[in-house]
Amino acid sequence: MNHHLQKKIQVWVLFCALIFGVTFPGAVFSEDIRLSTTVDKNQLTLEDSIELSVTVHGVRNPPMPELPPLSDFRVRSRGTQSSTQIINSSMRVSTTHKFLLIPKNVGSFKIGSAVMKLDGAIYKSDPITVSVEISKPGRPSINEAAFTETSVSKTDPFVNEQVVYTFKFFRRVGARNLNLSMPYDDTLFRKEDMGKAKRYSQVINGIAYDVHEVSIALFPLKAGTAVIPSSLLELDLIYRTRGNRQRDPFSKFYEDPFFGAPVQSDHKYLSTKQIELNIRPLPEIGKPKGFNNLTGRFAIAAELGKTELEAGDTTTLTLTVSGTGNIMDVTLPEPNLKGQFKIYPDQPTFKQTIHGTQIGGEKTFKFALVPYSTGAQTIPSIKLSYFDPEKNTYNTVSTRPINLTVRPGVIDDKLNLVQPGSVSAPQSGSSISILARDILPIHTNLADFENSTFSKTRQFAYATGLLGPIVIYFFAAGYIRYNHRMKDDISYSRRQGAYNIAKKKLEQLSSSHIDSKDFMKDFSQIFREYIGNKLNLQGTAFTAKELEEKLNDNDYKQEQISAVRRLLEKCEAMQYTPVTTGKDNELIAESLNLLSQLEKQA
Amino acid sequence: MKIHLKTILWAVLFLFASAPNSISAQDEDISLKIVRANESYHEKDYQSAAKLFEELIEQGQNNGYLYYNLGNSYMRLGKTGHAILNYLRAKLLLPRDENLDANLRYAISQTTDQLHPPQGGFLSGLIFWMKSINLNEHFQLLIMINFLFWSASIGLLYYRKHQWLIVKRVTLGFLLLILFSTGIKYYLQSEQRTGVILANKVDIKSDKGIQDITLFQLHEGAIISANEENDGWLRISLDEDKTGWISKKFVGF
Repeated sequence: MNHHLQKKIQVWVLFCALIFGVTFPGAVFSEDIRLSTTVDKNQLTLEDSIELSVTVHGVRNPPMPELPPLSDFRVRSRGTQSSTQIINSSMRVSTTHKFLLIPKNVGSFKIGSAVMKLDGAIYKSDPITVSVEISKPGRPSINEAAFTETSVSKTDPFVNEQVVYTFKFFRRVGARNLNLSMPYDDTLFRKEDMGKAKRYSQVINGIAYDVHEVSIALFPLKAGTAVIPSSLLELDLIYRTRGNRQRDPFSKFYEDPFFGAPVQSDHKYLSTKQIELNIRPLPEIGKPKGFNNLTGRFAIAAELGKTELEAGDTTTLTLTVSGTGNIMDVTLPEPNLKGQFKIYPDQPTFKQTIHGTQIGGEKTFKFALVPYSTGAQTIPSIKLSYFDPEKNTYNTVSTRPINLTVRPGVIDDKLNLVQPGSVSAPQSGSSISILARDILPIHTNLADFENSTFSKTRQFAYATGLLGPIVIYFFAAGYIRYNHRMKDDISYSRRQGAYNIAKKKLEQLSSSHIDSKDFMKDFSQIFREYIGNKLNLQGTAFTAKELEEKLNDNDYKQEQISAVRRLLEKCEAMQYTPVTTGKDNELIAESLNLLSQLEKQA
Repeated sequence: MKIHLKTILWAVLFLFASAPNSISAQDEDISLKIVRANESYHEKDYQSAAKLFEELIEQGQNNGYLYYNLGNSYMRLGKTGHAILNYLRAKLLLPRDENLDANLRYAISQTTDQLHPPQGGFLSGLIFWMKSINLNEHFQLLIMINFLFWSASIGLLYYRKHQWLIVKRVTLGFLLLILFSTGIKYYLQSEQRTGVILANKVDIKSDKGIQDITLFQLHEGAIISANEENDGWLRISLDEDKTGWISKKFVGF
């Protein structure tokens, strides 16, 4: 029982120690703190790389050690690994920073001490010496796993002549993470891609290699010596390793990548030799007039959209230059049509194609032509000069002349085109040739120099122009709706018109010459009619009491209802009194006042 | 309340009475300067002509013919970059001017790179009329169609006929189209990123720094589109292959 308890305590202590170690970084363990550096190899070629491991022992989460100066190498970080080991109840921790060193030069180099400062103490690793030997470019020695080579189609091309630069990668092992750099000086060459990489097999000295081939076309820009720098292929070569599993009947499964085949990877940098070219200038002898630095083999064709057209019609002249060489540089000026046509050039279009190892294509120039005059016209042949590097001569190709007929239009208007000699000398076969081109004159009409700044006044005017119609619409909509209701809704129409009708009638009554009894009768009638209209009642034969009830039903004020009743009773009384005192203007004034109050309440 | 209304009416009257006088005096000064600049050009004193046109623009004059004439003056002075820049500014205001198109084409043909203004993307193709109508004309067209639409709406309310409904719908369609087109035009013009190289020869770098690799070179008068601006550098692209950074001081907008 005691033994069992003792063992349990031991396990707990060990567990607590482990937790303590993990949670408190920097804690010192049974191992002393030290710094070490190792390399995976100390003899290599320019094609190889070294893996430098800087390991800090005895401390968890240490600071990053300072690397020594490594000016002879390109340095890349390959990450950090930490490890914890428990051996015989003592814990060992280490942190390894890995770096990939790619040599730049040949020779013997000393990788100095890495330095780390921790808690005031300085830790240093031991220096390492490595030796870098020259790599052997070119064809492989026997059994070489992978190599590269480059070639050019011509070492002494002319300026603008296409040079095909080909990079080949031969391998007989697996390769991954390929990264190819084919640098060139863009002040000496212009580059054009030649499509995707080709892949094929080739047997060299009885050994079958997988070949990857990449080609680019370079067009030299200047005469003289030009160098194509080395191309660099960075990759991981994959070697299969054969261990004890050979004897295992299931080994072939383990070699399958799916089962994690026992492979070894080697990071490599394969470089090629730089290539020197002697760029020849184009010969001056025999250079045609208007030669535009075209080098290669070209053809030119002309096509006209319509050969029969009416005056004022447009036809399209299409000039197509095709061939191989620096066709993308082809420029064609506007054809010299001797003032026969007004010309509107379009943007040229270019379609690139690859013919074997030659870059070529088709560049199309379109010009819209409007004839100035009627009758038979001819578009003369258009010439294009180029230098043929294979024959070492200049060539000129041209299109065939094209005839066309321009008929007068249905309404034979004079063509209103601004061009010298176009209208005055139709069909004269004018031989005016364009000697130079220049800009058109300045504009002088002062009226056209109005300031078009987006000023506040303009903004206000635009806002008014945009919002004004909307405001007008809402006013108009209100008015139209009112009119429609007046027309369609009789009660509304009566209600709206009641006051005006009553007022008008009262004014007429006031100025009429009728006797007092009739006046009272009419006055009473007008008032009843007003209330009838206002409350949409049929007829006008209401007693004062009935009107009082109706007004009460429609929530009129008690004070006004009483006033209405009093007024009507007064009228009735005066109507049936034997002696009357003529028209009562006070009564009219009182009634108008009462109507106004009723109207306001309505 | 009556006094307020009266005061407002007097103020409006005063403004209407006084404004034309002050504007006409200013107009006279500007007209005089334009005449002097044009005369200097005809007398082949292109330097003075360009200076006067530049002064007018600095004074706030924004007119297509002013930019066109300034472009011509720069062409005569051999400053092709400045000429193309002013032709492009003029093109925004005079999109249908044939003389301007001809001079711009000629100026581009005189440059080393011969880069033409960008053609515009899908939207420019869809709203095909946008290029031929300037922003002011867009607004005027919008106001006109807006007036027609609301008039048709009033007509429909009044007459309540099917024909008026068709007219209203058609004008609404046009109104939305022109509204969209005006919005796009305004956006594109305010976000104008088409520039012109003004220096003789400029290196286009792989990143924002003179120590970075020179990818290619552009020459005076090359028309570029700036996609991004950062620390006084512009990221430009001519096509898929030709993209890089250029110091902003070499580019005119």
